[in-house]
Amino acid sequence: MRRIWGVLLIKQTGKIHSAILTGLVLAVAVLAGVCAFFLFDAPGSNGSLGPEYSYDIEHYAKIDSALILYRQVGDPIRTGLTKTHAVTVDGQRQLYIAGDRTIVVYTAQGRRQKDIPLEGEPTCLHVDSDGALIVGLTDHIVFLENTGVVRNQWEPPAAGALLTSIAADKEDVFAADAVNKVVWRYNRKGEILNRLGQKDPDRNIPGIVIPSPYFDIAAYPDGLLRVVNPGRHWIEACTPDGHREWHWGISGIAVEGFSGCCNPVSLAVLPDGGFVTAEKGLVRVKVYDAEGEFVGVVAGPEQLGWIEPLRVCKTPEECKAKGFDVAADADGRIYILNTFNSTVMIFEKK
Amino acid sequence: MSGLRRLLFVLLWMTVSASAVSVQRFPPPEFENEYIIPTPVTPPPRSMTMEIVDTAVLAAALALGSWLALKKRSRKGIVLLSAACLAYFGFWRKGCICPIGAIGNVSLALFDADYAIPWTVTAFFFLPMIFTLFFGRSFCGSACPLGAVQDLVLLRPVRIPEWMEAPLRLLAWLYLSLAVLFAATASAFVICRYDPFVAFFRFSANPALWVMSFAMLVISILVGRPYCRFLCPYGVILRQIGRFSKFRVTITPDECIRCRLCENSCPFGAIDRPTVEWPRTEYARGRRRLLLFFGLLPVLIAGAAALGYAAGPKLAMTHPDVRLAKLVALEQSQAMKEPPDEIKAFRTTGQTAEALYREADRKQRQFAVGSTLVGGWMGLLAGVTLIQNSIFWRRSDYEARRSGCVACGRCFNACPPHRQWLKNKQDKTPGK
Repeated sequence: MRRIWGVLLIKQTGKIHSAILTGLVLAVAVLAGVCAFFLFDAPGSNGSLGPEYSYDIEHYAKIDSALILYRQVGDPIRTGLTKTHAVTVDGQRQLYIAGDRTIVVYTAQGRRQKDIPLEGEPTCLHVDSDGALIVGLTDHIVFLENTGVVRNQWEPPAAGALLTSIAADKEDVFAADAVNKVVWRYNRKGEILNRLGQKDPDRNIPGIVIPSPYFDIAAYPDGLLRVVNPGRHWIEACTPDGHREWHWGISGIAVEGFSGCCNPVSLAVLPDGGFVTAEKGLVRVKVYDAEGEFVGVVAGPEQLGWIEPLRVCKTPEECKAKGFDVAADADGRIYILNTFNSTVMIFEKK
Repeated sequence: MSGLRRLLFVLLWMTVSASAVSVQRFPPPEFENEYIIPTPVTPPPRSMTMEIVDTAVLAAALALGSWLALKKRSRKGIVLLSAACLAYFGFWRKGCICPIGAIGNVSLALFDADYAIPWTVTAFFFLPMIFTLFFGRSFCGSACPLGAVQDLVLLRPVRIPEWMEAPLRLLAWLYLSLAVLFAATASAFVICRYDPFVAFFRFSANPALWVMSFAMLVISILVGRPYCRFLCPYGVILRQIGRFSKFRVTITPDECIRCRLCENSCPFGAIDRPTVEWPRTEYARGRRRLLLFFGLLPVLIAGAAALGYAAGPKLAMTHPDVRLAKLVALEQSQAMKEPPDEIKAFRTTGQTAEALYREADRKQRQFAVGSTLVGGWMGLLAGVTLIQNSIFWRRSDYEARRSGCVACGRCFNACPPHRQWLKNKQDKTPGK
């Protein structure tokens, strides 16, 4: 072989036959280029990524039974609504479900008591201490008597607002706005006093990150408002005038953490000061104590009868639709609104 | 206004009317956890100010390149400018945006009313054309980073035989035609994907692209500007515009003395030699050949169009919807054990398979028409090339070919009148 190359490349004078060498180099380069061109999978048509890139979360969907501290009570309540957004419960354990253009009220025994028609689609709901209903109709707040008579209506706080949660104490009403990424604080006359959560490095406020339209808040007995920061996977404790005191919650796919683009999507306060949270994507309802320490699980995908594919939402678009809402009554029962089939499941401690 | 200038004006108007300023439509989520966001391989979006700066730099480079080639006649100046443009548009701007890749954007803008082409892309596409129309291909010689790489690494030029030049140039036409087809059908911007030197500019590419880039680099050491001459789709456009340029690079600043010294100075085969009269017998043979090729032209067009039509289904696979439809059909026929990620992702969109099939069918019809046209067009070009080579072109001097000359100035120093012109200029310089 070496001899053949020698004869081809070396002239009789002993010098290299440059023309042949050049031709060979050119031929090899052209051949390599052409081969690479046809091997180059520009459109990615060679198919899927390999198994090493798959993200299997089935393992996390199976929850250790020792961690499940609650059991379901009775059958789910079927509301018959097509699109539901919020669930809440009052001091008499009456259940209120907001959806379509209605608020459906159930007695503590689970009997449908009345339907309160609304002028628009309710996006959030709160039952005030006097039994009045404070309803968010997409961009503005409406006060209703428990009978359904409109008591008051406030102007939208800002253009394009999307109110996703309401909380109230004696003096103030708080409304979470997922578009403007702030919590509006009103006095009882409907005047805006201030906004909470707006990014302010000088006050050590990192800002609320809301990749998908889920933004929940809850009033707490200590007077601090609890504000979910779903993009950062934590819950903040804020004073009414907007100071951020502390936060709790960790990012993670394991049971004690919050995963995906934006979780938790819902928050409720238990009578012992603990919290109930609901997550979308990898659907889980969990309980944390007043300090934010993980306590246990109310229901995982299996207990919630989840049949959709489980996934961790890497982008907001993947999990834009429908996150569960949660509420808790004075006895510590937990109400889970399944927004996919508009039913309410009730859980109590084992 | 000449026909070509009118065409350029219409194209400019059509693309500018649909242009848009690129803006961030949705702010990315501000994740602040331990996840490290990978560095993208494509350059990040530019601010409006920097886009204006880029366009201004291109315009300035074109103006300076034209001046250096036509007025100053300085090869050294052209090389320096070319190296600066390589540094700026190549290594700093990482090869994006460039007029060559802009062909895809402009094609899509012309065929898809919903696509808003960024104004800088429009500017990058038309500026070199406008300069070429007036001053020849100064973009290729001075401002193009791809041209600069090839020019700078050319160490041992091998002359490509004349009979090979014209057929090889058809490759560039084919590349241009397919690139327009793929872009017009919103399938892919292939020119950017197959950029031969972007791997070097970004120090990042997949293995196949690295091999292609190195292969092109090795070829460029031995063959003068192989990408510019035989593959560059933008070069093909500039070639045609260059034929009508108002001013152009000349080998000599004075009368050609036919000394033959410039004969081998152009490694790009862009110098036309003076012709000698054909013998009478050759004329007769040439006429017969011409008649034959004219007769063959419809056959070539029809044959190539049929080939194009036959290639349509294969080319249509470039479109993601067509590929996905094939996958979904395959999965529905239960020929797959495990659905691939594409199908899983498709299911989450909520779109029905029927809607996908309809869209894929529409794309396939577009490809059937488009690839037939591309085939016919290539047949026509092949026929025209044959005819062109059968015609006797009378020339009395050595001339830089209007279409082929890239205004690199390599021939200047080979020309004795040029050297004399330089000497005279230096003598006239005050202080000498």
